[in-house]
Amino acid sequence: MKKNYDNNLDMEKSTNGMLTVKNLTKMFGTNVVLDNISLNIEKGKTTVIIGPSGCGKTVLVKHLIVLLRPNSGEVYFKKHRIDNLSENKLNNIRTHYGFLFQGGALFDSLNVTENIIFPIRQHCEITDWKEVEELVKSKLAMVGLDGFQQFYPSNLSGGQQKRVALARAIALNPEIILYDEPTTGLDPIRSDVINELVLKLQKELSVTSVVVTHDMKSAYKIADRIVMLHNGKIIADGNADHIRNHPHPVVQQFISGQVGEDDIAVLRMSGAISQTQFLPRDFE
Amino acid sequence: MIGIVGAKAISSVDNMGRFARFIWHSMIASFRSCRNTHTYSLICAQMYFIGVRSVPVVMITGAFVGMTLSIQTYGQLAGMGLQEYLGSLINIAVVKELGPVLTAVMLAGRIGGALTAELGTMNVTEQIDAIRSMGTDPVKYLVAPRILACLLLTPVLIVFADLMGIIGGYLVSVVQLGINSRAYWLHSADTVEKWDVFIGIVKGLFFGASIAAISCYKGFTCKEGAQGVGQACTEAFVASFISILALDFALVVISKAIYDTFWPLRSMV
Repeated sequence: MKKNYDNNLDMEKSTNGMLTVKNLTKMFGTNVVLDNISLNIEKGKTTVIIGPSGCGKTVLVKHLIVLLRPNSGEVYFKKHRIDNLSENKLNNIRTHYGFLFQGGALFDSLNVTENIIFPIRQHCEITDWKEVEELVKSKLAMVGLDGFQQFYPSNLSGGQQKRVALARAIALNPEIILYDEPTTGLDPIRSDVINELVLKLQKELSVTSVVVTHDMKSAYKIADRIVMLHNGKIIADGNADHIRNHPHPVVQQFISGQVGEDDIAVLRMSGAISQTQFLPRDFE
Repeated sequence: MIGIVGAKAISSVDNMGRFARFIWHSMIASFRSCRNTHTYSLICAQMYFIGVRSVPVVMITGAFVGMTLSIQTYGQLAGMGLQEYLGSLINIAVVKELGPVLTAVMLAGRIGGALTAELGTMNVTEQIDAIRSMGTDPVKYLVAPRILACLLLTPVLIVFADLMGIIGGYLVSVVQLGINSRAYWLHSADTVEKWDVFIGIVKGLFFGASIAAISCYKGFTCKEGAQGVGQACTEAFVASFISILALDFALVVISKAIYDTFWPLRSMV
């Protein structure tokens, strides 16, 4: 199988900063989602980005692969600035990435094999189909789904779809894998299967992983480093112990999964909870 | 009030600019696809869905157009003793206008809606982002084969519609209304020229391209959720329909100017 994409980016001596975001700001209309964020993703490590729903985690991770472009700021991949490149030039760079979307994003009209070989077909000259079949088999075996080659996405469960999507994401042996809420919608056991896969891929493929999640159990299990977003800014950045003991009240509230008094007050005002039904002292 | 009107105007210009860039990108991708043999399988698959599977409904449309025109115009012509010219009127109308336009409208509903729904669903389920994340241009992979298939096959479908319109008109005129068959065809041959057939088919190129381009654009830019996809399908059909009418008018003016330049007007009687 002949590769048609360019590995020239390896010529530059890479530092530990695989991906770097500098002073990134992103707005949708007048809504500031990311506010002057700077972040350095270390090579070979798993960085987990946590935060409340709607805080901009997915928006940030999409900037890392330039599926979104910042209003201001810069994004670097191995010292090369990528946020200002044309889509044509980005196509080559994106072959170094794998992206696991929140819903899997499998192509409905293609079966599992066709989904996995999609990136291979786009970037490689396929001369030996036996080699491709073996490759599909090995990728599916990695995610524990060997034998599902002829299934269509509609015939798979949510967890199976995510695993097939992961097999597709690693089809080109990427250096970086981005995960957008990989355990959302899965039961606790399937969630742990995904966690184990993330750890396994990091060990076996030596990839750099960036995981977006609000599942703290998952974050503690897989993270070398945890970054928390709130109101468009990074308010915490460190390993699991650092986050567990972080003094910021918002961090503590988030990781403990506790609803705040402000949120209860809003619910009361909207009539969702009666005055006598639910009081903060109930938590004491 | 002025602010709202101004915002609407800016939004419309913004949308037109995005559409123009999308069209340009799609044209480039389509030209490149013609030279890239790897995309031929994608184009063939779309040609089957857009072209082959539309043949029955297009033929039915053409047949009913011819038959209805025959019934509607017989009375007026018979009143003037000109019923033997029924063939001229039916066939020129079918070949020049009704065949191409009604075929295009049928395709806008059948194909346009399907394209918008398919690409819109892919958009809201992040499949288009997935294609981009794997280093592939989604316009090249998704839009170009659809535009090429529509562009190439709409003229062919118009030929089918014209054929059935002519046959339908003949059956009603001659078999039901008792028009003399020889006179029917003689007057048709006098009136319908190769230029008329050619223009009808050329219209198909423009109609097909506009249906595909508008439908794909609406799919790519639809809002989130089922409502967003549904709204995009409606907007795609309406925009395609209006563009068919506008293009038809423009092409009629241009073709008439060309015809009058090279072949000055001659009497049909």
